[in-house]
Amino acid sequence: MTRIACPFCGPRELREFEFHKTLPTPGAQGAFARTYERVADPALSVEHWQHVAGCRAWLLVHRNPSTGVVFAVELAGEVMP
Amino acid sequence: MSAGPERHGTRLRPGPLSFIFDGRRYTGQAGDTAASALLASGVRLLGRSVKYRRARGLFSAGFEEPNALLTVGVRPSVIPNVPASQLVLSEGMVLRSQNRWPTLGFDLASLLQAGGGFFGAGFYYKTFIWPSWRTYEPLVRHLAGLGEAPRACQLPPVAIEHLHCDVLIAGAGPAGLAAARAAARAGARVVLCESEPACGGELEFEPGMIEGRSAAAWVAMTLAELATLGARVLVSTTVVTDDSGEFIAHAEPGGLPGRNTVYHIRPHAMVMAAGAIERPIVFCNNDRPGVMLLGAAERYLARYGAQVGQEAVLFANHDRVYAAAQRLLAGGLRVRAIVDTRAADAPGTDSEVQRLRESLVRSGVECLSAHAVIGAEGGRAVRAARIAPLAGAGARTGRRISCDTILVSGGWSPALNAGLHGSDARRFAPAVGAFVAGSQTDWRRYAGSANGHFDLAAVLQDGHGAGARAAAHAGARGSAGAHPQGSGDAPPRLAPFARSPATGPAEKRQFIDLQNDVTVADLRTALAEGFIDIEHVKRYTTLGIGTEQGRSSTVVGGAILAELKGETLAAVGTSRSRPPYHPVTMQSIAGFHVGAAVKVARRTPLHDWHATHGGMLEPMGLWMRPRYYLASGANPFDAAVAEARRVRAHGGIADGSTLGKLEIAGPDAAAFLDFLYLSKASTIRVGRSKYMVNLREDGCVLDDGLVLRLAHDRFIATTSSGHGTHMLAHFEYYRATDWAGHRVSVTDVTEAWAAIVVAGPHSRAALSQVLGAPWQGRLSQLAHMDFADGQFGGQDLRVLRASFSGELAVELHCRPAMAVPLWEALICAGLEPYGLEALDILRLEKGYLVSSELNGQTTPLDLGMESLVRQGNPCLGRELLDRPAFHEASRPRLVGLRAADGRAQFLAGAQLTTEAAPAQPCGYVTSSAYSPTLGEWLGLALVARDCVSERALLTARDPLRGSDTPVRVVSAVHFDPSSERMKT
Ligand SMILES: [Zn+2]
Repeated sequence: MTRIACPFCGPRELREFEFHKTLPTPGAQGAFARTYERVADPALSVEHWQHVAGCRAWLLVHRNPSTGVVFAVELAGEVMP
Repeated sequence: MSAGPERHGTRLRPGPLSFIFDGRRYTGQAGDTAASALLASGVRLLGRSVKYRRARGLFSAGFEEPNALLTVGVRPSVIPNVPASQLVLSEGMVLRSQNRWPTLGFDLASLLQAGGGFFGAGFYYKTFIWPSWRTYEPLVRHLAGLGEAPRACQLPPVAIEHLHCDVLIAGAGPAGLAAARAAARAGARVVLCESEPACGGELEFEPGMIEGRSAAAWVAMTLAELATLGARVLVSTTVVTDDSGEFIAHAEPGGLPGRNTVYHIRPHAMVMAAGAIERPIVFCNNDRPGVMLLGAAERYLARYGAQVGQEAVLFANHDRVYAAAQRLLAGGLRVRAIVDTRAADAPGTDSEVQRLRESLVRSGVECLSAHAVIGAEGGRAVRAARIAPLAGAGARTGRRISCDTILVSGGWSPALNAGLHGSDARRFAPAVGAFVAGSQTDWRRYAGSANGHFDLAAVLQDGHGAGARAAAHAGARGSAGAHPQGSGDAPPRLAPFARSPATGPAEKRQFIDLQNDVTVADLRTALAEGFIDIEHVKRYTTLGIGTEQGRSSTVVGGAILAELKGETLAAVGTSRSRPPYHPVTMQSIAGFHVGAAVKVARRTPLHDWHATHGGMLEPMGLWMRPRYYLASGANPFDAAVAEARRVRAHGGIADGSTLGKLEIAGPDAAAFLDFLYLSKASTIRVGRSKYMVNLREDGCVLDDGLVLRLAHDRFIATTSSGHGTHMLAHFEYYRATDWAGHRVSVTDVTEAWAAIVVAGPHSRAALSQVLGAPWQGRLSQLAHMDFADGQFGGQDLRVLRASFSGELAVELHCRPAMAVPLWEALICAGLEPYGLEALDILRLEKGYLVSSELNGQTTPLDLGMESLVRQGNPCLGRELLDRPAFHEASRPRLVGLRAADGRAQFLAGAQLTTEAAPAQPCGYVTSSAYSPTLGEWLGLALVARDCVSERALLTARDPLRGSDTPVRVVSAVHFDPSSERMKT
């Protein structure tokens, strides 16, 4: 079930969050690659989301985009590629 | 019209109930559905089909009803498409049949089928193409569509209830009840939703023994136990959508007046126990009133004591038909024959079933094996069934058995319910002849017949197991106890059989999808024309669309498509259905978000003043802003022109509180802003402000605004009104990611500061008068783009000298509580308010971007900001500005426009063409307004660079509003190009 566990607020439902983007390929060099070369893996997507209707933290969400299952949620700034 | 003697059924209560159907009064009984009451009154013709207008009657006893859809209520406030089978009657209810004109008995459009033959697959795509679809649209629209949309909505407001639970169970048949009991015993908080008005599901008409009791007693006992365990049981409530784990359940089909509740349920685990939907077998004229699902006849008899007819032929491909026949016979239906498609010596034929069959034969029922019903005879009602052996002599013509009812059963397809709408994989189950859920997840399990089990013992065990596992997943630690033991009808042992043999022309009368009039011939056409995939076939033939979403037709349709393609059903699959699971009113979706409550409105501190002083407020994003003031003129044009003229001649005040204001603070604030803006913030001196532009990471302009430096480490960045919330997220994003670990903070202070724009040649005098002596000296020393912080009336006040009108102007930033006193004082000092329209005129005269120039596709180079780019600040998005495509001659360029004759009007949105290529737009008008100062229409436009030259002549083509205006390219700064007025 799609609930996202915000590190500050605990598990909250999807509608409180806003998707921003899928992260670029690890090690992408240059603005073009970082902007346009995104990972498109149907089994694992690493994405930036914001808890807009909550604490407004930016989150790094590891998720299966085919099933919607969320594997892990971290604060975005902690583990930038 | 009387319904005859009192009937007895599990759903009925004593007492008559009257209702109107197509203008005639009928009497039903308390507890009746529209379907059962009309059946009992002998009404068989309940609607006409959408395409061919063929007479249609009741087909089912559930949500899968494709034919008998009714419109409930009185015009204009009607609810269309409510299945008669699900509509529980209330006294005085007014019902109408659908898809008939002028009357149900005589329908003009039905002559179409008599005169012109049938519309085949893709009929609309192929036929109404000359001279254009619009020629035919009015007539086709009159005839087409399911039911009539309400012209007004006078339904009582919807109640929305939010439920939180551990386990949500959809369906309260044997599996659902077993699951609910297991979960509740384990200690889980349970919500159980049942579409029907009563629990029990098939146990209501197919009695078995469970835990040593009759099925009915077990259901009652289980419900009592659930009540003591605190489970919430919602009847007449269907789970219609699954929105990422938030299930929306809807009480009452169609959201009937007075009983309309919507539940938003957030469970930790879910059990789908919605049962299975009986499939028909397709034969010629299988759409005639009197052809029904076998299970429907049993339901109407057991629940409502209503007979579906007098004499019936039963047609099936499984063992269950014999037990059903015996019950129907006992209930008073004359069963003429049972037509079984399976051979008499089919392996696995049960001895119990053999005995049943022999007893039926002794009761005078003809039992035929390896036979099929190949056609129904009769027009508005079945008069006979045509029966033929599946092989050998007589297979073509068959023989006739007169009857008024043909009860058909081709097996059961698990109701994957709301789970179907998601991405759940499906797996073909050969024993079931249909699809089951491909996998069970921890939080969503299918159970019982929804999971492909049709033996009561297995159904109970499966339901119990699913409930126990769901409870455990949700964290309940108690024991679910032992699963209920039970026994009922024999397993069906079906042999898949989708349609009876037919010759070519007869295939045009073999109806697969009754609601959409899709026949076997249509599938053949679709295949012949290259529509191979089931989803393409669905869209081309309309198989499985509409309110019913193919519940009774997709599996049969898939099987017949497989037959025509020479493939297996497993390979062909079925099309997906769409949410909601059954039709709901728009009002149910909207909830209380109607009228003024559609969205939140942000109000400035001056909102009430505007509203009480003729300010015409309109939404801008979430904000409400005054467009113009009635005192300035009766219509927006006159008022805006008067207000703009007054600002240039004298002065005026405007509410600028909607501008976004972000406070950026910390030792790294300046460097952070340098990263986010095209020009450097770090070079702004304290007490100064600067016009700045943000880029997106791809190089396009995101927003513009002023950046004020309050202190060495503190800034205010203003954003445009519509972009405030987005810019906040943008700043927060880069602060949290690229700038993580740096010492900078972002705080939204938009609502902490009201803003009043004071503009015009006399504005300074008025302002000096209002602010008084302490400010007079400071005001005169304030240079263009300077600001001063101080106090006014004991509260913080910031005076920023900046102008977006081209006039001498300041912005007053004050605490919200001071806004009205300050505003009223300025009015006493002789200034009058101006609105958004005048603001735009003033901006346009000066060539300032209005709003549609920042459309997310324009770069700073397109907008004439080369000098900012040349300064070389390596900000976000700067690198991608160097992409060659941003420098091509076809890129747009911001220019000013004026009518060639100095008088004509041209409007934003008009396409611009050159004389050389009059059919090829080279740009378009982004903003335009009449300038009272210059006495003519002015515009801004984005024009391809290679078409731009000073004084170039273009044509502004506006076919929608019917004008072609010659226009000339001019400088974007139309008024006071050297900006003397605002700088002195
Ligand atoms: Zn949070």
